Amino acid sequence: MDRTEIENLIARVALKDRAAFDLLYERVSAKLFGVCLRVLNKRAAAEDAVQDTFVKIWNNADRYRANGLSPMTWLITIARNTSIDRLRARRKGHMDLNTPGFELVAPDPSPEQYAVASSEAARLSGCLDTLEADRGSAIRGAYLDGQSYADLAAKFNVPLNTMRTWLRRGLIALRECMSQ
Amino acid sequence: MSEDVQNPAEDDDFLAVEYVLGLSDSEALEECIRRLRSDSAFAARVAGWQERCVAMTDDIAPVAPRKKVKQAILAELFPKKSVPLLDRLWVWKGFTIASLVLAGYVAFPTLRPSDPVLPDTVYATQLRGDSALEVLAVLDPAGGEIALRRLVGEAPDGRVLELWAILPDQAPISLGVIPQGEAVRVALPEALGAVATQITLAITDEPPGGAPNGAPTGSVMAAGAVSEL
Repeated sequence: MDRTEIENLIARVALKDRAAFDLLYERVSAKLFGVCLRVLNKRAAAEDAVQDTFVKIWNNADRYRANGLSPMTWLITIARNTSIDRLRARRKGHMDLNTPGFELVAPDPSPEQYAVASSEAARLSGCLDTLEADRGSAIRGAYLDGQSYADLAAKFNVPLNTMRTWLRRGLIALRECMSQ
Repeated sequence: MSEDVQNPAEDDDFLAVEYVLGLSDSEALEECIRRLRSDSAFAARVAGWQERCVAMTDDIAPVAPRKKVKQAILAELFPKKSVPLLDRLWVWKGFTIASLVLAGYVAFPTLRPSDPVLPDTVYATQLRGDSALEVLAVLDPAGGEIALRRLVGEAPDGRVLELWAILPDQAPISLGVIPQGEAVRVALPEALGAVATQITLAITDEPPGGAPNGAPTGSVMAAGAVSEL
């Protein structure tokens, strides 16, 4: 997917250009629907989630630049967060995940930091595989299946605080691996 | 445990990644939201983890959604004309028909002083956005003018408001800097009047004198799609 093209389309959608919205839908809807389907695992729920996702994109495109993310990261994160929110909606006391750019974000994001982050990101999958299998699976479980600490603790049969310490070590190791 | 030794950078990093993964408890979530607004280093950490984590979706195969999904999106965002226009334009914000009558009254008697009859076809939209600015626009293609009524909000200090017409597949067309005042008029080029229902009007904030190169440079303060009244 061409970064500049997607970025231009988002900029035009921010100006409420419907033709650009059509084109953006054509370019990214299959990827975003794939993500919704992966998280929700049910076609009807994923269709609702991808619909919500595009409504949010239309309504918030003008805030895209504020968050400093690459365009596909922004779009996929909206789809992922919207799906996880749907997944968790039935749980008591659930607070919706925040979608990047929907909150006011402090200005002055340094472009270099993001450049580093996106080159690192390419190494994530490889690095997840170098973690102890359980830790990699816990991180994926949280990100792609919306699992909470309580879910993860139950899954791996450890106390909740242990789970948190465990994940923290995993993430430190992950970061070290990715920055190498 | 050595991992729990105080290390502010590492604590912040963990706070950021828990937020991105959706693991924050409500207290941490509030802290994150607060710091995202004010702490650009923290915002950069969050963005960095969002970039890293999104790589977990790289292996997810695209699946084209069914056609009805797009139809549902378009129906939600752009309700068909059969939805009473008055509902769309005014009722959301508690406007009454009085606003409309007032707008018409303000716009037209002075537009066409010798002709008390309203034009056959009038187009209108309410421009809104994230800023406090809200502007009502009534388009009169026959008279070649757009009447604007500012309901609330104003240009940021040291900036001016510029009006743009956006048509599918075209760069925004400047309709000029909006004059000061609550109710003002700008010219509507004939070519645009002919395609009024395809226009989306948008207002950006620009340096004094307007966007220097004929393309918007400021943020979109308000926008609205034009419909027939």
